[in-house]
Amino acid sequence: MNRVPAGHTTAGAAVPVVVTGLGTVNALAHATAAFTTALRAGTCAIGPVTGFDAMGYRSRIAAEVKDLAIPTWLPSPLRRRASRSDLFALIAAREALADSRLDVAAAPTRVGIILGATTAGMMSGETALFERLEGTRRRYTKTPLLGMPMATSADILATVFGCEGPRLVLSTACSSSATALGVALDWIRLGRVDAVLAGGTESMCRTIFAGFNALHALALEPCRPFDRRRAGLSLGEGAAVLVLESAEHAARRGASAHATILGYGMSADGHHLTAPHPEGVGAALAMRRALARSGVAPADVGYINAHGTGTPLNDGIEASAIRQVFGPAADRVAVSSTKSALGHTLGAAGAIEGLTTILALRDGFLPPTVNLEEPDPACALDFVPRTSRPADLHYALSNSYGFGGNNTTVVFGRA
Amino acid sequence: MTMDRAALKLKLKELLVSGLRLQDTEPSAIADEQPIFVEGLGLDSIDALELVVLIEEHFGIAIPDEEVGKSAFASIDALAAYISAEQARAG
Repeated sequence: MNRVPAGHTTAGAAVPVVVTGLGTVNALAHATAAFTTALRAGTCAIGPVTGFDAMGYRSRIAAEVKDLAIPTWLPSPLRRRASRSDLFALIAAREALADSRLDVAAAPTRVGIILGATTAGMMSGETALFERLEGTRRRYTKTPLLGMPMATSADILATVFGCEGPRLVLSTACSSSATALGVALDWIRLGRVDAVLAGGTESMCRTIFAGFNALHALALEPCRPFDRRRAGLSLGEGAAVLVLESAEHAARRGASAHATILGYGMSADGHHLTAPHPEGVGAALAMRRALARSGVAPADVGYINAHGTGTPLNDGIEASAIRQVFGPAADRVAVSSTKSALGHTLGAAGAIEGLTTILALRDGFLPPTVNLEEPDPACALDFVPRTSRPADLHYALSNSYGFGGNNTTVVFGRA
Repeated sequence: MTMDRAALKLKLKELLVSGLRLQDTEPSAIADEQPIFVEGLGLDSIDALELVVLIEEHFGIAIPDEEVGKSAFASIDALAAYISAEQARAG
């Protein structure tokens, strides 16, 4: 008897998985529709840091989420207690669930949660520590310390939305939430769940701001990925949550899809704690694996949402990796960096940029690389400078690379 | 240091609002005999732990265990009575 490989239909094809819900909060907008408008307009949300005193830091700019109201739908203890990163996750997840019209209560144990994170509620922990050290408080308070662990964000989502399926918070540095989308895809293909809330959340904190400053990785002016004069990245914050489910499950409940998620590829540089591999070996391998698993040829890819941090090293190496994988097709693929508009949101970046890639496929446009004035001849790809363009896209990639050589590429297709 | 009972109750209400971030509640809107937890102000067990710390910080009075906490945190009246008694005991 021929056995069907795990995650495949009896016909031998990979179980099709679709994205039925989108939700995001970031420096550009507090919901997906407004985010789409801001993306298409080429808005840049990077400005002076206001969330904490940034005096004394080398770079003092970032893309912060501003004027965010605490949602009244949150139960009282959480309204008072949720950390900033948990709040982002809650708002994004609620939007995604409402958008998908998924009835979690109908089969709560069949709905999973996977979030990517790097520092989670670190800002809350910092505040508790400062209060203690400065003597404003003589004892540690529980609330900020509870908001600090990475696991809390998924715990809170499960509690508020009643999800009783498997739950995971993972970290692969700045590719964390791209990896989260990939693992969610696996869970669905393996039949462990019907649907997953998958995404990532990140709030600004002093520790990360200081760390990136100390590495001289932060630009003094808003980052300009792929520009000849690029001088580093700009940090950001926010969250994105996607509802992923098998196409069959979505069809059974009459849900419409924004896009399909076809596959993902991961690799490790095995090279250095912060610097990418100089030949982009890991970045290229992640793209190759993602394409192979998705059954998509490079020539069919119309758009790549680049990792595109704006650091001298990343952008050159990523462009070279794209050329290695795509060959002559690299001249026909559009590549842009969303980080030029809303900064590098670390643990949330893969999810926010995955969502951006889905919007590009669904609405037929190329999000621009904002602030790109003099394309670096050493990079030499179509980086969609400053202005978005219409495009008829069938397949698109989202690249995410993290410190330590954590590479993840996700492939999406038009629904 | 002892305090007039009415002033003590007002201070406790202000402490609840600021310390537990009850932004939507006016201190004066909390009734002296109103239950503080669950159905009263919507506080939960984590708030109880916070309140133990707040009382210790502001009055130097410990809530040694859950039994004491349960009766002391029944209402603002009960909490003020507990603090006054402890202060009197300490002289």
